[in-house]
Amino acid sequence: MSEQEKTGICKFIENAKNLGCNLCGSYLRDGKPDSDKSRSAIIFNNFFLHIQGVKTHINTLRPTYTWGMGLISLFLLFFTIVSGILLTIYYSPSIESAYTTVKDIKYVVFAGNLTRNIHKWAGEGMIIFVILHMARVLYTSSYKRGREFNWVIGIILLAITFFINFTGYLLPWDQLSYWALVIGANIAKSPNEITDFLGLTQYFDMGSLQKEMLLGGTIPGEATIPRVYFLHIMLLPLIMFIFLGVHFWRIRKDGGLTRPDEFEPKGEEAGLPTKKGGIFPTNKTYGLMELAKGRTPAVDKDIENTVLSWPNLLRAEMAVFFLTFAGILIYSMYMDAPLKELANPLIPENPAKAPWYFLGLQEMVSYSAFMGGIGLPTLALIGLGLIPYLDREPHYMGIWFSNKQGKAVAVQSFIVGVVVLVGLLVATVSYGWFRNWWPDVPQLLITLVNPGTIWVGFMMAYSIWTIKKTNSTRMGAIALFTMFLLSYIILTYVGTELRGPNWDFFWSHDQWPIH
Amino acid sequence: MYRKFYLILLLTSAIVLLAFSIVATVKEVTPEWKQYQSEYKEMFIAKAKDPEIAEQAKSFQIGHKQIYLNTLERVDRCMNCHIGVDNPLMAGADHPYKQHSGNYLDNHPIAKFGCTVCHDGQGRATNKKEAHATDLDTHWDTPILPAKYIESACARCHDKEMLKDSGAEKVAQGEMLFREKGCRGCHKLAGVGGVLGKALDGIGSQPKHYFSLRHVEGDKTTYAWLQEHFVDPRAIVPDSEMRVVLNGEEADLLTTYVLTIKTDEIPKQYRRISNYKDTPADGESLYKMYCIACHTDGKYSIYDELFKRTIPAVMSPDFIRTIDDAFLKKIINDGRKDTQMTAWKPDAAGLTDDELNRIVTYMTRNRSGEKPAPFGYSNFTVNKKSGQEIYDVRCASCHGIMARAGEGYLGIDLTNPVIQSADPEFLAITIRDGRKGTTMVPFGAKGLKLSDQDIADIVAYLRTFAQMKHNQGNMK
Repeated sequence: MSEQEKTGICKFIENAKNLGCNLCGSYLRDGKPDSDKSRSAIIFNNFFLHIQGVKTHINTLRPTYTWGMGLISLFLLFFTIVSGILLTIYYSPSIESAYTTVKDIKYVVFAGNLTRNIHKWAGEGMIIFVILHMARVLYTSSYKRGREFNWVIGIILLAITFFINFTGYLLPWDQLSYWALVIGANIAKSPNEITDFLGLTQYFDMGSLQKEMLLGGTIPGEATIPRVYFLHIMLLPLIMFIFLGVHFWRIRKDGGLTRPDEFEPKGEEAGLPTKKGGIFPTNKTYGLMELAKGRTPAVDKDIENTVLSWPNLLRAEMAVFFLTFAGILIYSMYMDAPLKELANPLIPENPAKAPWYFLGLQEMVSYSAFMGGIGLPTLALIGLGLIPYLDREPHYMGIWFSNKQGKAVAVQSFIVGVVVLVGLLVATVSYGWFRNWWPDVPQLLITLVNPGTIWVGFMMAYSIWTIKKTNSTRMGAIALFTMFLLSYIILTYVGTELRGPNWDFFWSHDQWPIH
Repeated sequence: MYRKFYLILLLTSAIVLLAFSIVATVKEVTPEWKQYQSEYKEMFIAKAKDPEIAEQAKSFQIGHKQIYLNTLERVDRCMNCHIGVDNPLMAGADHPYKQHSGNYLDNHPIAKFGCTVCHDGQGRATNKKEAHATDLDTHWDTPILPAKYIESACARCHDKEMLKDSGAEKVAQGEMLFREKGCRGCHKLAGVGGVLGKALDGIGSQPKHYFSLRHVEGDKTTYAWLQEHFVDPRAIVPDSEMRVVLNGEEADLLTTYVLTIKTDEIPKQYRRISNYKDTPADGESLYKMYCIACHTDGKYSIYDELFKRTIPAVMSPDFIRTIDDAFLKKIINDGRKDTQMTAWKPDAAGLTDDELNRIVTYMTRNRSGEKPAPFGYSNFTVNKKSGQEIYDVRCASCHGIMARAGEGYLGIDLTNPVIQSADPEFLAITIRDGRKGTTMVPFGAKGLKLSDQDIADIVAYLRTFAQMKHNQGNMK
């Protein structure tokens, strides 16, 4: 008995001594990553890491290929989640205390103001980086050969990013929230522009239904905050996570990030793992013929030009993570998230502006509420979503702007786009539109023909012309996307900086007649 | 791959992150108010002579101070900086350590009243800029109330009878100005008053964004807006028609009073109300409150540059002598359409019948006993055509060819429905005897020697304007 007791104590002490090692080992399962085998194991044995391949193509690691845009978006999402969870501890979604609890977060919660700033700027940063990520994917033809649907999912994620930002904007219940909500509700009601004309409103009033769904009533109030809050922290994140999971899973299934078909390693890249290196026998190629369709690296290509994800990829990811973290922290330390006066239905903000990322749309809403708020954005999202299905040319995947011609088309469409759009805006600002010329013109005509629709029509016409001229659908896609991007930027700038009270044109804020 | 690049990026980012995390932490743990509290503690210890108080001073804890006022629905954190506010030892200290002046805190213990209930400002904020909220970019509806208007805060709970001689004289003086300068001649309050200006209900609790603060010179606040607009209305509201202009001191007093006109009520248990009843205003007070801004003392007619018309002398002895009370009341009742003169009847500007009578009584108090000699208009056979000829020569220079007067004319508009409905006898006597205090001289035997027949003709011609105006309206 005593022998056994002694052994037991010994065992216990020994286990205690090795606690650190064992904990680490059980977490990593295969112990320290000191061999290629264990470095591989660390990836596929880890729940969080296994979404990545064991080996990563060198091209993926080239900073100038992806610029880390998708990764930065993901990390910004991470920071909004962490800061958002902290904010939910203090925020109360009711009309009496929404505003005061935000004030308390700002003034007395430890680092509350910083947390709120991080939440705000990381959220809005996501919009910028998601769009940049989308641009990277488009310009490198990464939406092709099996990745078409992932592009569509990306578009859905972009739309969710907009909505989740917008719902967050409404929660502090200050003047900005209230009047953005009023604008949002009016946009939701704008299908009435069409249904009124067609005489359908009396049978099915879709506009009012949408508006009341958003507001929980006919004006923003008591019922609005909980439902916006529910959208912001529950429904939209849930949908976002599902699509995000699919988005990543599909990248993995499609064999990681895209890369040029003819990849020539150079400089530092050259001479690294070839068929001869690594854990795989040199005389055999592996494929998942039974399980995976399409061109996965295992089927189509060899393991050439790949390196182990641990530590190469993870090092890069950590670097981007810290870069993002430092960036968002510094920005949030010196830029306060806006918080205006308590919502007051009696004092309309003039101009009542939506958040900046919607001001391009609001500029178009000023021509026609339905087209600017619903028609054209829907058309834009559908148009973007269709790009991979209308351009199926398989060449030049993984190469920025495809080739010389692609670069030329991008520059050309940029210049043409800027000239035409700015010209259109200048004309609209100087001479007005139909309503100014013929006050009795039917609203439907303005809904259908306004600077917004004309611009969208021009974009489409120009890209089809490009397709015809270059004999390449890919060039059409580049032209269309370039114009979409520049119009988003220009319209947002006009809406943010050049529009003042009554949505009149002003060169700067100093010229505004009030305040 | 790209090992060096990513390592350098990783390292730099991590170092920058660490450095700024430290900066952020330091910023978080050393807010503005902590500075004040630690300085306060030193001062407190230095000043405390009594051992018991010295003990108190030493045990003073630096940390968030706040008063949660449930009934008042506010949280005041002002003492984070104004930490010595109820400490008698801090009597002579500087802001923000200073003790509260006067003995106000004896009757208004801080724990029950907090600060913002009197001083306004943003009680929840914990830094000076945002707590005082006088800048536009602080986005708070009610900035801190400047000391010179602070007495307006007393009226939030006390009525003016209590305040008259107990420390809030400025409210009473301001109210006197409000009554005597005729503010309600143009501004409605509680449903009574003219319509030229904005209604004043709740003006003291209106957020600053109700006001266009662009032209305000001082702080961008309601207070500065009010004060500056009393001194120079058109500097603040370029197209204002406000005739009353005050000097700086009066403007301060009136601002103090106007700020007491609030809609948000302090909960009942905080209010102290004596049972006094406002005595009904007499005719003179009513005249001052509603008429004096335009008509001044009513003795002289004035050509007004803002209204671009002549304001009649409503208490000219000749006018009062000639007019009977019923017609005078009718004039006040119906006002003058198309002019600045409001209809003062109960369902328009909101004066009661009784008040109208009192105003009439006041205006006619000096009516001389002798009635003007009757004219006997009905005895004449009138000729409108000849009346028009005489009118165009003798009257049109002041009243205008179509008697519309208005801009640039010294006379008044005679096409007005009230004048058109006047007794021709009244018109004839006025032309004959003229009106003292105005540019209307006697045209009859005593003055410019028009014959009574001529005067009767003119009156007949004048009385056609109602019809003509009507037709003109139709033609348009």
